[in-house]
Amino acid sequence: MKKLLVLTLVVLTLVVAYAKTPKDTLVIAANTEIFITLDPAVCYETFAAAVVTAAYSGLTKIEPVNGVLTPVPELAERWEVSPDGTVWKFYLRKGLKFSNGDPLTAEDVVFSFRRVLKIRKSPAWLFEELGLTAENMQETIYAEDDRTVVLKTKPLAANIVLSIIAPPWGGIVNKKLVLANEVNGDLGEAYLTDKSIGAGAGPYVVTEWKRREMITMEANPYYWRGQPPLKRIIIRDVPEETTQFLLVQRGDVDVAWNITTEQAAQLRESEPSNIRLVTTPEQSNEYIAMNVGWGPFKDERVRLAIKYAIDYDAIINSVMRGFAVLNQNFMPIGYFGYIELNPFKRDVEKAKQLLAEAGYPNGFEVELITSTTEIRRNEAVIVQSNLAEIGIKANIVLMPSGEMYQKYRQQGHQMIIAGWGIDYPDPDALAKPFANYRVKQLAWRNMWYDDYAADLAEKAGVEQDPEKRAQLYKELQEYWIYKSPFVMLYQPVGFWAVSNDVVGFEKACEGYTLVFDFTKISKK
Amino acid sequence: MKLASFIVKRLFLMLLVLFGVSVLVFVISKVIPADPVGAILGGNAPVELVEDLRRRLGLDKPLINQFFDYMSGLLKGDLGTSLKTNRPVVKDIAEFFPATLELAICATLLSVVLGILLGILSAVYRNRFIDHFSRVFSILGVSMPVFWTGLLLLLLFYFRLGWLPGGGRLSLFVTPPTKYTGLLVLDSLLSGNMEAFKDALAHLVLPTIVLGYSATASIARITRASMLDVLRQDFIRTAKAKGIGKRLVIYRHALRNALIPVVTIIGLTFGGLLEGAVLTETIFSWPGLGRYIVNALLVLDYPAIMGGTLFVAVIYSLVNLVVDIVYAALDPRMRI
Repeated sequence: MKKLLVLTLVVLTLVVAYAKTPKDTLVIAANTEIFITLDPAVCYETFAAAVVTAAYSGLTKIEPVNGVLTPVPELAERWEVSPDGTVWKFYLRKGLKFSNGDPLTAEDVVFSFRRVLKIRKSPAWLFEELGLTAENMQETIYAEDDRTVVLKTKPLAANIVLSIIAPPWGGIVNKKLVLANEVNGDLGEAYLTDKSIGAGAGPYVVTEWKRREMITMEANPYYWRGQPPLKRIIIRDVPEETTQFLLVQRGDVDVAWNITTEQAAQLRESEPSNIRLVTTPEQSNEYIAMNVGWGPFKDERVRLAIKYAIDYDAIINSVMRGFAVLNQNFMPIGYFGYIELNPFKRDVEKAKQLLAEAGYPNGFEVELITSTTEIRRNEAVIVQSNLAEIGIKANIVLMPSGEMYQKYRQQGHQMIIAGWGIDYPDPDALAKPFANYRVKQLAWRNMWYDDYAADLAEKAGVEQDPEKRAQLYKELQEYWIYKSPFVMLYQPVGFWAVSNDVVGFEKACEGYTLVFDFTKISKK
Repeated sequence: MKLASFIVKRLFLMLLVLFGVSVLVFVISKVIPADPVGAILGGNAPVELVEDLRRRLGLDKPLINQFFDYMSGLLKGDLGTSLKTNRPVVKDIAEFFPATLELAICATLLSVVLGILLGILSAVYRNRFIDHFSRVFSILGVSMPVFWTGLLLLLLFYFRLGWLPGGGRLSLFVTPPTKYTGLLVLDSLLSGNMEAFKDALAHLVLPTIVLGYSATASIARITRASMLDVLRQDFIRTAKAKGIGKRLVIYRHALRNALIPVVTIIGLTFGGLLEGAVLTETIFSWPGLGRYIVNALLVLDYPAIMGGTLFVAVIYSLVNLVVDIVYAALDPRMRI
C-alpha cells in the first residue's frame, strides 16, 4: 500500500501545467518533414518558402491586390524598364538594413541573384527563364551605384520578371556575412540552411531550426516597414494531423497547419468556440494527363472522350469533401487573362460515341499511375470506375512520387494523375508548362508537340501590351481546353484550423501556396 | 573457448556482416527504378536541371566508380551527405539518435521489469486470475496497432484529462538543459535543471508506454512459457524437496535458467527500438531516427538511406554481440 502511494505521488508530480501560447507569439503545429533548407537560393518547398519569404525581402513582393496576386515594390522603391522589356533598373530605398544592422546595398542584390545561378539548385531555372545564366551574369546583373541594380533580361512581359525576382528565390542575402561563413566555396549554403541571423532583411529572422522539433522566428528590429505585430513565431514540428488537431483544440498551438479534409469538414459543420476553419483557393491544380505518344491517346477524340467520362463533382465532393473548386482551365481563377471555361460535364453516352468514332467501341486497357497519397489513391479509384463505364480498363499503379516523376520525366507513362504548384503568379507560369512543349515540361512529358499552342504561349509571354496579351491567352485557353491531353480535375482549397485568438489569418493566407504573409497576423 | 577469444571471433563476424550489408544496401539503392535527384528537385524542375545536378553529384559515373567512392568514404567514417538535409549523414544520425536512444531505454526498462514480473507471476499462478489477466494483457499488447494505442492514450491523457503533454520532447517555453549526452532527462539532471527534468520525463511517459507495451507483452509471454518449462524440471522438484523456500526456488533456481530465451527477446526488442519506432515517433512528434530513415526512403535520399541502414546494422550486430556475451555468461555451454 505504501509503495502504491509513493508511485501515485511520483505520477502526480509528473503532471505539469501546460502554458497557453503567449500573446506576442504565434505557435504553429505543422509537418516540417518536407523542409529541406531555408536558403533562398535553394528552397523550393511550399511552406518552407513562406518562412524564407518572411526572412528575406526582395526587390519586389507578391501581394494580393483586389484579389489578384501582384508584384509590388518592397526593397526597390521604384523601377524603370526599356520599351522592349529587356533592360530593368531597380532603385533601392534609402537606409535599408539587414537584421544585424548592416547596410543593404545594390551589391548585395547582385550577389544574391548571381548566387542563385551559381548554386543552380531547384529555383535556378526560373532565373534562367529570364535569360539570366551563370555564364552571362557579369553582363546581365550588375550594380550601377549603391542603390541602383540593372538586370538585362529576355524580352518578357513585365509581370513575369517582377514576379520571379520576388522572394523566396529573389530574397536578398547579406553578401558580407554570407561570404564570411562560406565553407569550401559553398557560397554560404550550409550556413543559411537552418538560420537567417543577420543574413536577411525580411520582417522576421529565423533564429533557429532544430530539425524535426521546431523553427523559431523573431521580429526583425531593422525591417524597413517597422516591426511586425508578432514578436515571435514558432513552428512546432508535429507530423501527425490528429495530434495537430488535438493541440489546436487544447490551445497549446494557435494554428494546425496540416489538418485532414475530414477534420476540416468536421470544423465546417460545427466549429468549437475556441477555433475556426480558415480556407483559401490554392495556387495549384490537380489533373489527369494522357501521353499523346501512346496508343489510343494519339487520337484527339479519345482524349476528349475521357474529358467527358470523368465525374468532376464526385471527385470534388467525395475525395476533397468540397475543399476544391471546379476549374477545367490550366490557370487558377482570377489570374490575368483567365476566362471561365468549364465545358465538360460527365456524359457517358457522348464519351462512348467519341470512343467509337475513334475506333475503340469496346474501349482499351491503360496503365494509370499516381503517387501513394490518400487523395490521389481515392481520385484514381473514381477515375478508374468512370473509365470502366465507357469500356476503358484502367490499371492503377501507385508509386512513391520520386519514382512517379522519374517515369513522367522520361515520358514513360500512359496516363497519370498529378498536380502542379504554380511558381510565379502570372499566366506564363502555367501556359508554358501546360501548352509549350519546347520548355520540356508538362506538354513535352505528355508528347503533346502542338506548335499552335506553343506559339501562342510564347507570344503571350513576351507581349508588352496587356490587352493584346489577354487576347492571346484567351485564344490559347479556348484551343487548349479541347485539344490538350490534360483533364483538369479541380483547383484545391487550402484549409487550416486556427485559434480564435489569432487575428488576420484570413488575409495572411490569401495567395497560398505561392505566398503567405506572416506580417498580417496578430493576436487578441 | 575463453570469453575473450569468443568476443574477438564475434567481432570479426560482425565486420563481415557489416561489409555484406553495405554492399547489399548500395546495390539495392542503385536498382530501384526511381531518380533521387528528381525527387529532391521536385515535380516542376525541368529535365536539364535534373541532369545537371545528377552530374554534379557524380551519379552519372559508372556504378563501380560510385561503389569505390562510397566504400572509401565508409572506411574514413564518412557516410556521405544527405541529399535532403544537405548535411553529413553522420551529423544527422548523431542529432536524431539520442532521442531514439532515450525512448528505447525507457521502453526497454518498462518492458523488462513489467514483462518478466508478469511472466513469472503468470507461470507461478498458472490458470489463476493473474495468469488470465497477463495473457489477455499480452494478446492485446501484441495485437493492438501502435498507431491506435498511441492516439487513444493521447486523446485520454492529453486531450481529455490534460495530465500529460501532447507530444514532443520538451514544452516550447521550457529552457532546454545544457547538452551533454543528448538524452534530455539525463542532461537536465546533470545540469540541475529540474523544470526541464520534470517536463522531459512527462513527455516520455506516453511514448514509453505505447512503445513498451507490445515489448512487455512479448517478454511476458516468453517468460511465462520458459518458466513453466523450467518449473517442471527435476532440479526444481529436488530444490523444493530439500525444503528451500518458494521465493528462493523461483528467483534463484528457476528464473536464471528461464532467462536465456528471454534475453534473446530483450536483445531483439532493444535493437528494434533503437532503430526508431516510426509510428510512435510520428504520433508523439518525437524527433528520432525512425522518422529520419523512413523519410529518407520516401524522398529517395540514398546517402541517408545507406548511412541509416548501416547504422541500424551496427546496432543490431552490437546488441547481438551483447546478447551472446550474456548467454555465454549465463550458460557456459554456449562458449563451446
